[in-house]
Amino acid sequence: MNEVLLAPSTLQQLQAIVASEKRVLPVGNRTKPPLSDCNGAKLVSLRSLRGIVEYEPSEFTFTTQAGTPLTEICATLADKNQYLPFDPLLVAAGATIGGTVAAGLSGPGRFRYGGIRDFLLGVRFLSGDGQPIRAGGKVVKNSAGFDIPKFLVGSMGRLGVLTELTFKVFPKPPQISSLWIQCQSHRQAMDRMATAASSRWELDAIDYRPDQQAMVLRLAGPESANASIMDEIQANWGEDISELTTSAEFWHSINELSWFSDDALAVKVPTTPQQMLTLIESLGAESPFNLHASVAGNLLWILLDASEHLTALDAQLQALEIPGLVVRGPSHNPRLGKWRSPKIEKSIQAAMDPLGKFPHYV
Amino acid sequence: MTALEGLTSIFPPSRLLRDAAFQAAFESDGLTAFRAKPLAVVLPETADEVIEAVRWCHDKSVPFVARGSGTSLSGGSLPVAEGIVIALNRLNKILALHPAERIAIVQPGVVNQHVSQAAAPYGLYYAPDPSSQSVCTIGGNVAFNSGGVHCLKYGMTSNHVIGLQAVLATGEVVTLGGSSVESVGPDYTALFCGSEGLFGVALEITLRLLPKPEMFHTVLVGYDSLQAAGDAVSAVIDAGLLPGALEIMDSLAIEAAEAAVACGYPPGAAAVLIVELEGPREKIAYEREALDEILRQTKPFAQRVARDEADRLFIWKGRKSAFSAVGRLSPDFLVQDGVVPRKRLGEALLRIEQLSREAGIRVANVFHAGDGNLHPLIMFDGKQTGALQRAEELAAKLLRLCIEMGGSITGEHGVGMEKRQFLPEMFDGPTVALMDRLRRAFDPKLVANPGKMFPGKEAPALSSVGLHPLEQAGVISRE
Repeated sequence: MNEVLLAPSTLQQLQAIVASEKRVLPVGNRTKPPLSDCNGAKLVSLRSLRGIVEYEPSEFTFTTQAGTPLTEICATLADKNQYLPFDPLLVAAGATIGGTVAAGLSGPGRFRYGGIRDFLLGVRFLSGDGQPIRAGGKVVKNSAGFDIPKFLVGSMGRLGVLTELTFKVFPKPPQISSLWIQCQSHRQAMDRMATAASSRWELDAIDYRPDQQAMVLRLAGPESANASIMDEIQANWGEDISELTTSAEFWHSINELSWFSDDALAVKVPTTPQQMLTLIESLGAESPFNLHASVAGNLLWILLDASEHLTALDAQLQALEIPGLVVRGPSHNPRLGKWRSPKIEKSIQAAMDPLGKFPHYV
Repeated sequence: MTALEGLTSIFPPSRLLRDAAFQAAFESDGLTAFRAKPLAVVLPETADEVIEAVRWCHDKSVPFVARGSGTSLSGGSLPVAEGIVIALNRLNKILALHPAERIAIVQPGVVNQHVSQAAAPYGLYYAPDPSSQSVCTIGGNVAFNSGGVHCLKYGMTSNHVIGLQAVLATGEVVTLGGSSVESVGPDYTALFCGSEGLFGVALEITLRLLPKPEMFHTVLVGYDSLQAAGDAVSAVIDAGLLPGALEIMDSLAIEAAEAAVACGYPPGAAAVLIVELEGPREKIAYEREALDEILRQTKPFAQRVARDEADRLFIWKGRKSAFSAVGRLSPDFLVQDGVVPRKRLGEALLRIEQLSREAGIRVANVFHAGDGNLHPLIMFDGKQTGALQRAEELAAKLLRLCIEMGGSITGEHGVGMEKRQFLPEMFDGPTVALMDRLRRAFDPKLVANPGKMFPGKEAPALSSVGLHPLEQAGVISRE
């Protein structure tokens, strides 16, 4: 595990740390330990730089310090009947908003309106030379300058230290309902997911649980509309369909990556629907992998209880030439499979981090 | 012409244009105030030809500008004098459309609207819809992160691009992102979107398609004051509705649109509001009741609902033609693109009115009210001495107003040539310096669209307005 953890309580202290330490890696509450595997860099936690700075419900925006826990943000938004539609992950586990951006994680809700990248409007961060930078904006529409805020999504703290973030939010839908749809095969499920995703129904989430061959659809809208659309889906796809009475618990277990166990290793794999089917068919038969397919075939979550199986998974992903990211588990290089780094990566890193303060992956 | 040595072996004479007529045809874009004559225009027909052209420019240190249909309103595709224009209109193929995966892979010269047309048989569409969508190209949309009237709900171009292949300014070909809407690692695709042609040229772009909404409910509402229309927008948002579009036009813009396309907007209205709900019919049935009730309380003096798709498009025709329609009221105009926080729209409009009166310059207002994106159309007659300069002075005041209110100098048109001196007013020194480092990481020789986004050494002092230095040097001209 990692070295000394510093937790500055002011921006000035944070700047001083970035200036004085040879190598630093920012973290939040460390709910995703593999992402802070750091080769001896000092870990700097942003957890004491917390609090919502500005929230204007009628603007559909809020600005927050990076160390603010998602629990606080979600509760504050819910008070005004608003939410982050991409389903932030590991909220109950204690994740911070800054860590969630750095990890680039979105949940099932990213299907309908887009992922965390699509709701991030602006950031303040420290570049590697300790300079405070403000990119993007605080308004919902802005195209001035390079889109550095989105670029930092998924950067895992290796391109800058996020200190403040501005997000777009949406009004909460009046009601949520979910349907559990038994399928005959993975192939049938994939076909149905594609049909559902292009349908008039405007679904909120389209997920699939391979071990039970069950597709789960989430509807978000007025109660009367949800009921009518559910009737139509049932009429379309037969009797093996039921309303999921434990809807809230089900989605909570996806968002917390806890449907198998609270502390299982968790791997994120972005896929096309075709790659998803191939992976499900090849991994599904092997018992150590607990799969959950999300975002209509674009995101596969793999939970496993022992790190020795990561090698086998890595080989599978390599063969398909797709990347995987270990987000929970022991501190370890989180990158599995085939990562495609553009050739210019090094010069971009040098532009963001001229003094080489942040540890980079080799 | 020895200057073009090498380029002539890449392109046959019919696709390497360098006579005066062609130079003139490409000397300007949607921001007609600026003109510059390129050394030559090349018309590649394949991605390989684009790559070779960029490599030639890089090797010879000749600046280049990639160009689609030249509709940029910020002068983003203005040629660099003595540089090469790479016109991408012949790379206009939709390379693949995968309905099950809801993606399309397109070449940069594909016209925006053609993507939705190709996707329509599958019940899908491409969401970003700039007003120029019937002619503007996806390559240009990506370069300038173009918007449209549905941005509050659906975002801008970058929210719909999931991957791309590009030739960077160095001649290197890179693949960013992929075919999944999800990704791991830093989002290079997003960084490329909106880079205003300063990083390189997109060769293949993977777009996310959405299911076409089953139903639209489009309401045209007339108010007797601009303030009342603005208040109506707040009421709709505060009620928890999320309309696909919320657009306002003021009386001058209505007058222009009416004269141009006879769009049948309520006569005598000081402002019209267009609200559009979209989604499954059951949801619309519920939401339209809520909307009716909200609008009733805003005391409109006229209101009508689009009867069918043709009527809906008729309502939109007035809005979408507003910019060009203003040409009927005035020989020249500047389109601005500032953003203010939505709650300050009313205040911003009053200030604009005041500034317009003080300057004695007519300003028509068209704006995306849902996201605070203003489009003041500043009218002038370029034949009158000093008129353009006065219009630009007013434009500068409006942009500074947006910065002061916590907004942005551009919502969707980009910085380009037009607003480059304002970039350092919106962003502080270290931020502009970082952006400059990023740009040089992609383009160490500064050959890709130089002179855009960043105030160059040749840029005017921030406080001064007047002849552009390139203009003083006789390199560019405008009228």
